[in-house]
Amino acid sequence: MAEFFTVTQSLTNSMFRKVFSKVIGISRRSPTSVIGFVIIFIFGFLALLAPLLMPYDPVSSDPNKILNGPSLEHWFGTDGNGMDVFSRVIYGSRYGFGIAIPTVIVSLFLGVPLGLYAGYKGGNIDEAIMRVVDAFRVFPSIILALAVVAATGPSLLNVVLVIGVLDAPIFVRVVRAEVLALRSSSFIESGIIVGNPTWRILFVHLLPNAIQGATAQTAVRAAWAVRISATLAFLGIGIQPPTPEWGAMIRQGAEFMINGQWWVGIFPGVALIFMVLGFNMFGDGLQDLLDPKRRSGAK
Amino acid sequence: MTLRTMLLRRLVISVPLLIGILFFTFMLVRLGGQDPVGLLAGPTATAEEIDIVRAELGLDKPLFTQFWIYLGNIVQGDIGKSWISNRSVLLDILERIPITLELLFWGVALGSVIGVPVGLRAAFRHDKWFDQISRGISLLGFSIPTYFLGLVLLFVFFFLLGWSPPGMGRVSLLISPPPTITGSYLIDGLLAGDWSVARSALAQLILPVIAVAIISAAPIVKHTRAIALEVMSSDFVRFARASGLPPKKVSRIVLRNSSTPVATFIGTEITGLIGSVSLIEYVFAWGGAGQYGLNAIIRGDFSAVQGYVLFLAIFSLVVFILVDLLVLVLEPRAAAE
Repeated sequence: MAEFFTVTQSLTNSMFRKVFSKVIGISRRSPTSVIGFVIIFIFGFLALLAPLLMPYDPVSSDPNKILNGPSLEHWFGTDGNGMDVFSRVIYGSRYGFGIAIPTVIVSLFLGVPLGLYAGYKGGNIDEAIMRVVDAFRVFPSIILALAVVAATGPSLLNVVLVIGVLDAPIFVRVVRAEVLALRSSSFIESGIIVGNPTWRILFVHLLPNAIQGATAQTAVRAAWAVRISATLAFLGIGIQPPTPEWGAMIRQGAEFMINGQWWVGIFPGVALIFMVLGFNMFGDGLQDLLDPKRRSGAK
Repeated sequence: MTLRTMLLRRLVISVPLLIGILFFTFMLVRLGGQDPVGLLAGPTATAEEIDIVRAELGLDKPLFTQFWIYLGNIVQGDIGKSWISNRSVLLDILERIPITLELLFWGVALGSVIGVPVGLRAAFRHDKWFDQISRGISLLGFSIPTYFLGLVLLFVFFFLLGWSPPGMGRVSLLISPPPTITGSYLIDGLLAGDWSVARSALAQLILPVIAVAIISAAPIVKHTRAIALEVMSSDFVRFARASGLPPKKVSRIVLRNSSTPVATFIGTEITGLIGSVSLIEYVFAWGGAGQYGLNAIIRGDFSAVQGYVLFLAIFSLVVFILVDLLVLVLEPRAAAE
C-alpha cells in the first residue's frame, strides 16, 4: 500500500513538474498571454462565485443609502438607486462572459464553414462570399451593431446574435486564407482522388489544418464582443438599467460623475477595461504562440 | 491614364456595394420592431388616421416599391425627411459633416503624430523594454471603451482640476458662434478675427480630440511596428546591411519603405474610427453628424438612419479613393503597374 502510494505520488509529481515546466516555458515565451489568462481566470472566478462573493443583492435598492461614497460597508459606494456598486460590479462579470462566449461561438459556427467552403471551392462562390465579407469591412462595426440591435429589439439574445453575425466575416477571412494555401497540397488532392465527399474534405481534412489562425482570433473577438455589448448598453440600446451590466452602469454613472459622485461609473468602467484587456492580452499572446512568423519577428 | 482607370474601377466596384448597403439598412429599419407611424400619429389616433399617416409617408406600398422610389429620390438628391427635426436629412447631415470632420481630423492627426514614431521606435528596439511598454500601453488603448475614456477625461479635467470647460457643445454657451464659413468654430472664429470665440472653441476641442487621438493611436502603434518589422526583415534591407551601409542609411531605407503601408493603414483606420468619433460626440454633446446618427438610431428615425449610413458609405468611399491616390504619389511603382 505504501509502495503504491509513493508510486502514484512520484507519478503525479512528475506530471505536475511536466505541466509546471510547460507553463513556465509559455510564460517566458509570451508573458502577455499568461497575464491575460490570469485576468480572465479571476473574472471567471468572480462570475461563477458571484452569489457567494456579493455582500448585497445587486438589484435591491435601499432608499436611505442613495449615492453614498465608498466606505467599509459599501466598498464601491452606492448608486442613484441605493444599490451596492461592489455587488453590481461583481455580478456584471456574468454578463461579460454570458455575451462573449456565445457570441464567439456564433461567429465561429458561421465564419469557419463559410471560410472553408469559399477557400476550397474558389471561383464565383468564393467571389460572392468575399464581396459580402468586404462590404462588412467597409463599415464601422459599432454603427452596424447599433443599427441592427436598435431595429431588431434589445433582447440579450438579439445582442448576441447580431454581434456574432457581424463578427463572422473575420473568421471567414482568416480560415479562407489558410485554406487557399492548403488547397493544392497533396494530402487534399489524394483525399479528393480517393473519393471523399466535400464535407469530409472540408471538416476532416482541411479544418484541423486551417483552424489555427481562427483559434488565435477567438480571444481578441471575445474582447470585442464584451466591449461592443457594453457600448450598446451604454447608449441605452440592448440591456437596460437597473440590470447590473457594466455598460448600463456606466450610463447611470455618467450623470453623477460630473457632480463628483465618480464611484457609480468609474468602478464598472475599470472592471470593463480589465476584462477587455485580459481577453486582448490573452489573444495577443495566443497569436504570438500560434503564429511562428509573428514569433520570430525581425530575425 | 492609370489614375483614371483606377478611379473608374473604384466607382464600378462601389456602386453595387452602395446599393447593397442601402438595401440592407432600408430593410433593416423597416423590418425592425419600431413603427414610426404609431409614434407620429399619437396614442389617440384611430385606425383610419393611422392609415392616412401611413399613406402620406408612402409606407403602405410593397417594400420593393418603396425601395425603388427611395433609390429614385436619392438620385435626385432627396434622401428623405427626419421625423425628429422635421427637416431634410440631407441638410441636417451636410451642416454637421464639417463638425465631425474637424474632430476626426485633429484626433487622427494627433494620434498619428504620437502613434507612428512610437511604433517605429518599438520596431527598431524590437523586444527591448521600450517595445514591451509601448505594446502594453497600446493594448490598454485597445481595451478602453471610447465613451468611458471621454467620461473619465471630463471628470478629471473638468470636475477635479477645472482646467477644461464642461463637455457641452463646441463653444461656450455664453459666446455666440461665429458666422459660418467652414463650419469649424475654431477656424471661423480665427477668420472673423474673434479671439474669444476661437479660444473658447479651442478649449472645447482639446478633450474630445485627445480622446479620439488615444483611441486612434493604439492601432497605429501596433501596425506601424508590425509594418516596420516586416520591412526590416525583407531581403533588400538585409542586402543593404550586408553591403555595409551605416545604420542611419539603413533605417532611412526602412522608413521610406514603411511610409506607404503606414499611410494606407491610417487611411483605412479613419473609416472605422467614425464609430468611435460618434460615441465621443455623444459624450461631449458635440452636435456633429456622428451624434446625429446615433440619436437617429436610438430613436428610430428611419430616414435619418439611412441618411447617416449613406453618409458613412460615401465617406469610406472617398477615403479609400484618397488613400489610393496617396499610394500613387508615394509609390511610383504602383502607378507603373
